[in-house]
Parts: sequence; structure tokens; C-alpha cells
Amino acid sequence: MSQPIEETEPREIAEFRREVRAWIEANRPGDPGFKLPQSFLEVESDRQFEFLRAWQRKLYEAGYLGLDWPAEYGGHGREGLQRIVSQEMARARTPFMVNTIGLQWAGPTILVYGSDAQKQRMLKPILSAEEIWCQGFSEPGAGSDLASVQTRAERAGDGWTVTGHKVWTTLAQHAKWMILLARTDPDVGKYDGLSYFLFPMDAAGVTVQPLVKMSGEGGFNQVIFDASPMPGDALLGELGQGWQVAMTTLTHERGAADGSGGGSLGASEGVRQVADLATRVRRHGRPAAADPAMRERLADLWIREEALRLASLRARVPGLNPERPLALRLMNKLVFSEFAQDLADVACELEGPAATLWLGDPNAPDRAEWPRAYMNSFGMTIGGGTSEIQRNILGERVLDLPKGK
Amino acid sequence: MSTRTTDLPRDFGFGEDHELLRDSARRFLEERCPVGEVRRVAEEAGGFDPALWKEVAELGWTGLVIPEVHGGAGLGALHLALLLEEMGRHLVPVPLLGATLAARAILVAGDAAQQARWLPGLASGELRATLAWLEADGAFEPDELSARAEPDNDGWRLSGTKAFVPGASWAELVVAPFRQADGALALFCIDLSAPGVNVAAEVGVDPTRPTGRIAFEDARVPADARLATSDESACRQVLDWGFTALAAEMVGGAEAALQLTAAYARERIQFGRPIGSFQAVKHPLVDAMIGVESARTLAYAAAAALDHAPAEAEVPARMAKAAAGDAFSFVARKSVQLHGGYGFTWDCDAQLYFKRCLWLRAVLGDAAHHRRHLAGALLGPGE
Repeated sequence: MSQPIEETEPREIAEFRREVRAWIEANRPGDPGFKLPQSFLEVESDRQFEFLRAWQRKLYEAGYLGLDWPAEYGGHGREGLQRIVSQEMARARTPFMVNTIGLQWAGPTILVYGSDAQKQRMLKPILSAEEIWCQGFSEPGAGSDLASVQTRAERAGDGWTVTGHKVWTTLAQHAKWMILLARTDPDVGKYDGLSYFLFPMDAAGVTVQPLVKMSGEGGFNQVIFDASPMPGDALLGELGQGWQVAMTTLTHERGAADGSGGGSLGASEGVRQVADLATRVRRHGRPAAADPAMRERLADLWIREEALRLASLRARVPGLNPERPLALRLMNKLVFSEFAQDLADVACELEGPAATLWLGDPNAPDRAEWPRAYMNSFGMTIGGGTSEIQRNILGERVLDLPKGK
Repeated sequence: MSTRTTDLPRDFGFGEDHELLRDSARRFLEERCPVGEVRRVAEEAGGFDPALWKEVAELGWTGLVIPEVHGGAGLGALHLALLLEEMGRHLVPVPLLGATLAARAILVAGDAAQQARWLPGLASGELRATLAWLEADGAFEPDELSARAEPDNDGWRLSGTKAFVPGASWAELVVAPFRQADGALALFCIDLSAPGVNVAAEVGVDPTRPTGRIAFEDARVPADARLATSDESACRQVLDWGFTALAAEMVGGAEAALQLTAAYARERIQFGRPIGSFQAVKHPLVDAMIGVESARTLAYAAAAALDHAPAEAEVPARMAKAAAGDAFSFVARKSVQLHGGYGFTWDCDAQLYFKRCLWLRAVLGDAAHHRRHLAGALLGPGE
């Protein structure tokens, strides 16, 4: 069953889409023979990592990554085309891009705030997956209240030393670089005392300790810095400008800005995939797709999915957003993550008791894809600013409601 | 219901003319139709303002989607959606919605002579028509309708009841579907002064939108009252326009209720601070905003589908009606609640949107109804 409506495209875009589709068909990686993570948030083993890194490198070498980025920094300067590749990858359900933090968060921030030297040095290895990135924002005492981070960066000669503790650090075990938010001046206001650094993970005094997720999967870590040295040119943007730079990163992380280097978050086909599941599984002696309660919930999810898809088109037409020009972009992360969570929840319910079978059980449907997706969906509703924080931001920035105390 | 891939312009076909229409409508209505005026018309004039109807006709709104050859402006569904959104915001006390859908039905199902006979009067606003589609039990889907048309000498004999008809007491003409002896549906354009036609005003919850019930008791109408090319497909097209138009009006109403409530939350002080600073107030308002914006996206997409791929408009039109019904219901309810004790007084404007929502969300199918139909497209037939 196809989409109810799909946009018409200019000829050159349609041709590019056909070209990408054919390339993916011919070059997509085969079954690795071991479990692949569902997103970049759950990369555990070296063999998973190397498999995914090789796939990203292949895509980049074929010319399908960094399309929107300037050619002088390793990109292709073909603005607007990366989205097409992402759509085709999702459609073909290929593995994701392992360097997502570099492509979607660090890279776009460096493009805005980086010196020419920083852009020259950092951007191309992000695209080729030669250098993997992680993000050092959250701390044990600074989650939703991100501006209260306590990790210190202190002047040491021409450079800096970093002391502190970061958590939920996805991919830290594989990363060459970290985008680091640290306190450079404890004596000014909590926002003004922050600076933003490009930190080399191979520095002395860095300890990476794995954390285990509720799904039993690894992939994220805590990182402890013990007077770790950092060169002077690690500073991105101005000293004391860290909060502003971090907001740029978060805007990209929440999918509220254009210009990402590419790489889709997950590979789900969405409601159609779950609709297909509903026609295959049985509930109480009949196909789940015949259950009226399930039918209504799937229809509701279909409506929400269409509204999300069409909102990405509407967001590009200023005349269709005269009153709240920011609303569609700022609400995207919240709406998408809650949709994805509800979708995974419904898929688990469709599977019934079989959704309780985990990886390794021969009767687990689809390698326990849906219970994994349901648990991992909390990475999206919590990471990058929780849904509750998103609602505060939307209330204050879009509806102009006063801040709480 | 088809779910075939169709063409929708990436910008929804939105252009300068859409922007001009919306901006001029907004300016006109802000000036001419403040909420105090709507209350006055509801209380003193039965919810219809004849002077405003004339002005609306002069602005070209009555003929907005009627072709130029019949004296209209020849504009599209997205124009209509943007206009109805503005009108929904202001609860405008004129029966443009029903009149426009009646015109669409004549356009879809009438032959050249019928179009030439009725459309110019509808375009100029001089001929007063509305759509009488729902039956007393709320039925409106083509396979649910029971009002009947029997051949009668040279003409037809109509029997059955149509209810919840907007502008029924004002109209001189209605377009309504009837089932023929062979089971097929046909649309009729009926002079309400015909013998056997009885119009009774309904006492509605919403004083800003008067409705009525029309009984056809062996009503005799001439042969050419039957719109010549009407069939089930024509009925479906009228319904797709109806779903989309209602969705657009609901988006406007929901937007107004949201703005009203957000403004109150910014100003009302309790515990020494504005109540909008409390997350228990802020978060439901954000959810309301998300609902309104999502419904607006779907309403524009449905209108764009009617303009550019009308044969494929049913899925987006039903999605828009469902999403807008849910969004407006949520906003209307929160709007009363978050105004506190003032919220359930007559004086608080929240009640006006709340009541308008009750009619809009229910007619031509509530959200659950449309989800059931959409499930059929997504999953195949149910039980």
C-alpha cells in the first residue's frame, strides 16, 4: 500500500532520487550474520561498529553524504539533496549512519561557529566516518537543567585542562572527538560561564565507562575527566558563548534546522510496517487487523504520521505559517518521538505475549524488534531535552507563556 | 477508498493570491466581526446578519469557488480552506459554509443548464441555498442514507427527513441526496416552497449557527430538480469538500480558542504569578497547539489534494476532519477548564467556541467514524 499523497518533485530531484535508489539497491550491505543495533544509540561491539563504519564510508565515497555541505570542506555543495538520500535509505531500510552525532549535531554546529581551520580539520573525517564524534553535555547533576553543568575547563598555558563527569555519552567508546560543554568561569551567571569545546578523546586522564540500558544493550557511557589537557584551538565560538553554541547543537539534535550532514535515526517504515504486522499476527483466533480497537489506534497513528510528514513540507512555505513560524520545527522532536514510542507500543500489543520474548529465543518475532524499539524509544523522548522540557520550550517560545520559577 | 500515490505540490500550491485573500479576510473580519458583534447577532437577530451577508457577497466570498463563467471567482479549495479558517476564528454569523457546499454539489452533479440556472445567483449571494445532507440519526455516508426519491409523473416524489441543516430557515433552496428505487443515490436541488416540504428551525446549543430540520412528505419536485450527472462518485466528491471545509473551519475556531486561553494564562495571576507559568496549565496548552498545528497541516493538505488530485482526496480529507475534530474538542474543553470559574459563565467567550465545536465535530462524521474508514484503507475490511 502506497502513501496517500506524495509531493511532486522537480525533474532533477526525481532523477537524483532514482539514481540514489538504484545505487542503494546495488550496494546496500547484506545480512552481517549478527545482531545490528536499531540506531546509533545502541552500538555495542567492535564488529557492529566496524560494519556500520564501512557502510557510511561507502556511502560517502559514492558521493551521497555531505551533499548539503560546502565542497571545500569535503561536502558537495548540493543543498537540499541530503534529505532525498535519507528518505531513500529509510525506504530501503538500510542501516543508519554510525557517525550521526558528527553528521547531524557537531558538523552543523562547526559550520556555524567554527574557524576556517576548524572546518578544514574536522568536517571531512566526519563524513568519511574516519573520526567518530560523541557529545559531552549532560552530567549526573545537569540533565534537564543543562545550564548547571559543573565540568570545569581551566586555562593551562596556551591550552586548557578539563576536570569533571559527563553521562549518557553515546559512542564515547569509539569517538575520536567530543563536543564538550564546560564551565570556564564559575563566578558569572550560569549561562555566561559556559564555553563549548571540540575535545580530543585520546587525551590523558579520560576514562570511558560503559552504562547498560534498560534493554540490556550498551552503547552509551559515562566519561570522567581528570585534569585532561586540551589545546587552545579546541574552543568553538567565543569564550563564554557556550550556551548559545550548545543551543545551535540542540536545535539540530531536535530536528528543528536544515543543513544536517545526513543519516537517518531509525529505519522503521512506520505505520505501514505495523499495519503489515497486524495482518500477520492473530489475536484471540482472528487476525489482529480485524480487532476494532487495534484498527482505530492504527488509523490514529497513520493520521499522526501523515501530519508529521506533511508538516515537513508545510514548514518550508512561510505563507502557510504566518502566525507561528517556529512552531512546526520546534515541535518536531516532541511529536516525532512520542509518535515513535506509541507506534512501538502498539506493535508490542499486536504481538501479544510474543512481545515478551527477547533476543536469543527462537520464537521471538523479528529478533525482538518491537520490544527493543519500544524500550529504545525512550532515548528519543528523554535525550536531547525531555518531552517535558520540550513542552516548556514550546510554551515559552511559541505560545509566549511565562517561565516557571 | 484509494491510497494510491498522487501528486501534491510541495508548497501545497500556495501562492500570492492565497496570501492576499487570507490577509484581506482577516482584516475585514477583525474590523467587522468582533466577538461582541457575533454575540449581538446571536442574541438579537437569531444568529444571522443579512447586512454582513451582503458585504460578504460583495467581497466575492459567496462565489469564491464558483467558476468565473457563472459569475464566481473560480478559485480553489485551498482558497476556501484559508477563508473558512478565518471565518471559523470569528464565528461569522452568515451561512457561507452550507451555501458553498451547495454550489459545489451543483457544479459536480449538475448539467450545463442546471449550473447556468443556479450558480450565478449563488455566486452573487442573491440566491440563498444550503446543503441538507445529514439525516435525523446523523447518517451521511452514501450507503447509510435512507431518504427516498420515487418517479412521479414528470417529476419526483421525495420522502424522508434531513436534519442539522445550517441556514435551513434562511435558505430558499437546498441540495440534498436521496436514494432512488434502484438503490443509487442522486442529488436534488429543491425549492423549499415546494408542496410537502416542511422546514422547522432547530433549537440549537450554538446560537451563532442556526440550523433546521427539513421534512419531505411526498414532496413533489420537477424532473430537473434531479442534478443530471449525480451518482455516488459525485456524492463522494461533495463529501470530500465537506470534510475539508469543516476541518478548515474547525482549525480556525480552535486557533481562536487557543489564543483566547493562552492570553488568559499569561494574564491571570494566582499564587502571585501568571497561571501560564505553571506546567499544569502550560503543557495542556502546548498539546492544544500541537493538535491545532497538525490539524492545520492536514486541512491544507486535503485542500491541496482537492485542487490538484481530487480523485485521491478522500484519505487526506478524512484525516483532516478527524484531526481537526479531535484538536478542536481538546482545545474547546481546555479553554473552558483553564479559565476556571469564569470559564463556565455565559460571559466568557470560551463557551462560544465550545458550542460551535459540538456541531462541527459531529456533522459529516466524528473523528472515530473517520478513523474507522481510514482503517479500512490501511488494513482492509474489518468485521
